[in-house]
Amino acid sequence: MVSGLVSKDELKHLGWISRINLSEEEIETFHHQLGDTIKYIDVLETLDSENLNLDSLEIDFSNLREDKTLGFTKDLIPKSVLAQEGYVKGPKMI
Amino acid sequence: MPNLYTLNASEANRGIKQGDFTAEEYVWSIIERIERVERKVHAFITLNKENALDDAREIDKKIRTKEDAGSLAGVTVGIKDNISTHGLKTTCASKMLENYVPPYDATVVERLKNYGAIIIGKLNLDEFGMGSTTEYSRYGATHNPWNVDYVPGGSSGGSGAAVSSCECTVSLGSDTGGSIRCPASFCSVVGLKPTYGSVSRFGLISYANSLEQIGPICRSVEDVVTIMNAISGHDSHDDTCFSPRSNFPYLHINQDRTFSSIAIVKELIDGCDPVVSRTIYSALDKFKEFGLESTEISLKSVKYALPSYYTIAMAEASSNLARYDNIRYGFSFPVEGFEWNTYISNVRSNFGEEVKRRILIGSYVLSSGYYSKYYLKARQLRSLLRQELLSNFAKYDLLVGPTMPVLPFRIGEKIDDPLKMYLMDVDTVLANLAGIPAISIPAGYSNDLPIGLQLMAGPFQEQKLIDAASLFENATNVARSPEI
Repeated sequence: MVSGLVSKDELKHLGWISRINLSEEEIETFHHQLGDTIKYIDVLETLDSENLNLDSLEIDFSNLREDKTLGFTKDLIPKSVLAQEGYVKGPKMI
Repeated sequence: MPNLYTLNASEANRGIKQGDFTAEEYVWSIIERIERVERKVHAFITLNKENALDDAREIDKKIRTKEDAGSLAGVTVGIKDNISTHGLKTTCASKMLENYVPPYDATVVERLKNYGAIIIGKLNLDEFGMGSTTEYSRYGATHNPWNVDYVPGGSSGGSGAAVSSCECTVSLGSDTGGSIRCPASFCSVVGLKPTYGSVSRFGLISYANSLEQIGPICRSVEDVVTIMNAISGHDSHDDTCFSPRSNFPYLHINQDRTFSSIAIVKELIDGCDPVVSRTIYSALDKFKEFGLESTEISLKSVKYALPSYYTIAMAEASSNLARYDNIRYGFSFPVEGFEWNTYISNVRSNFGEEVKRRILIGSYVLSSGYYSKYYLKARQLRSLLRQELLSNFAKYDLLVGPTMPVLPFRIGEKIDDPLKMYLMDVDTVLANLAGIPAISIPAGYSNDLPIGLQLMAGPFQEQKLIDAASLFENATNVARSPEI
C-alpha cells in the first residue's frame, strides 16, 4: 500500500470538489487505495511526448446538428419524489 | 427438437416464421428457463415478463396475417441496465437511479424493436459500468454460469451470464475498457466491441463517452452479425456516429475470406497466465491449419496504455457523473433542512465505493497542477497508440492476443484490491483508446473455466473480425452453455 501521495486533507478536498461526503472510514481506506492507483499512473511521466499531438480520433465536429428547441411533453418531467405538479423542488441556494 | 431456449437468434426467428412454434411459446420457454436458473446466476435487475409476452402475441398475430414481423421477430434480447428503455426501469446498477424510468428508448433499443426483437429484461452490471467482475453492482453480484462461485467478468456480467445460461437469445452490453469482451471471455460466448462511432450511444448512460460503445454478446458469430446489422449506422441523435446509415458496412457470414495476415502482440501474451497463453498459441495453430501463419510484433506504447486508459476514463467519469444531484431523478431524500451544496454532497455519498474512487481520482487528475502531468499525457499516449496500431494494420489484417490475461476467479477474491482489478483490463483497453473494433471468441477451457481469444482490426473492419471468428468457431466448436 502506498500512502502519502494523496494526503487525508487532499482527499477531503477532492470529496468537496466532487460533492461527495466521505466518512472517516472511507477517508482511511481511499487514502491508501487512491495512493496505489496514482502511483501506478505516474508512469505516464516517463512518456516522451514532446512531438506528440492530440488528434487521437478523427471525428469531424464541424457539421453538428442545429441546436433547436423540440416539443416538451409531460412524460419528460422526472418521476422524482421532488417533482410536484410539473415543477421540481430543489434545496435552498443560500 | 432441442429445448427452445437453447436456439440461436436465426434458429428462433426461422422456427417462429415457419410455424414450428409460436413466438409466445418461445418466450415462455425463455421465461421458464429464467425461473429455473436465475436464482443461481442473478443476471437480471428487472424482468419484463408481461410486456415480452404481449409483444410475442403481437408477433404471432402479424405472422398469422402474413405481415412482415421483422428479421429479429421473437428473438429475446437482454439489455444492459445502463441502456435506456422506454417505460422500463434503468438503474445502472446504482442506488442513485433506483427509481429511474426513462421516457424514451435508446436508439439501439428502438432499432431492435423495429426488427421485431423482444426486450426480455434489464441485465446486471458493475455500477455505471465501472468494474470487471459485476461485483460492484448495488443489486448483488452476478455468478458465472460455468461455476457459480466465480465471477462472470464485467462490467456487462449480466449480459454475458444471461446469454451463456440461455436466459435470453442475445444481449447488448457496453464496452468502455473491455466490458463486453471480458464477460464474453469469462462466460464462453462471443462479444464484439464495434468501431467507435459505428453504433449510436444515444440513450447509453455515459461513463466515459470518448471510449465506450454498445455492442452484442451472443452464442454464435452469426448472431453477432444479425444484431450488428440491426443496431449499427448513423444516428442524428449522436454526433459521434460517423457514416450515414446506408454507407455503414453491412456484415455477412460465410463470405470470401477478407483477411490474410495475422500478428500476435508480444506485450499482450507476455504477462498472462501460462494456461491462457498456451490456449492462445493453440488458437494460432488452428489458423495455421488454414494456411494462416502469424507473426509476432511488439507495440512500444502498450506499457502506457492502461495508465492512460484509467486517467481518461476516470476524468470523464468525474465529469459525466456530476449530473447526479438527486433532484431530477434519484432516490427518496427530502430537501428540507439542507442548503444546495450540503444536500448534493450528502446524497452523492450514496454512490458505491468504486464509483466514488473513480470520481475522486478523476477530479484529482483534472486538478490544476496535475492536468498536464496526467490527463494531457494520457491523451498524447492515446494518439501515439492509435498511430502505432494503424501503422500495423497497414501490414497485418488482424492483431491477436488473449481477451483476459487471467482465468475467471472466485467472487470476492480481488474485491479489496482495486488496482489488481484494474490490471486485468490490460489487453482490452487498446481497442477503446484507439477506437478500433475487437471481438472475443471462446478458445477453450482450463478446469472448466473459459478462455477467450481476442481479435482486433482497423477502424470499420468488423467484417475481417467476423470472418476470422467464424472460421475459428467452425474449426473448434467450443461449448457456449454449461449445465446449470
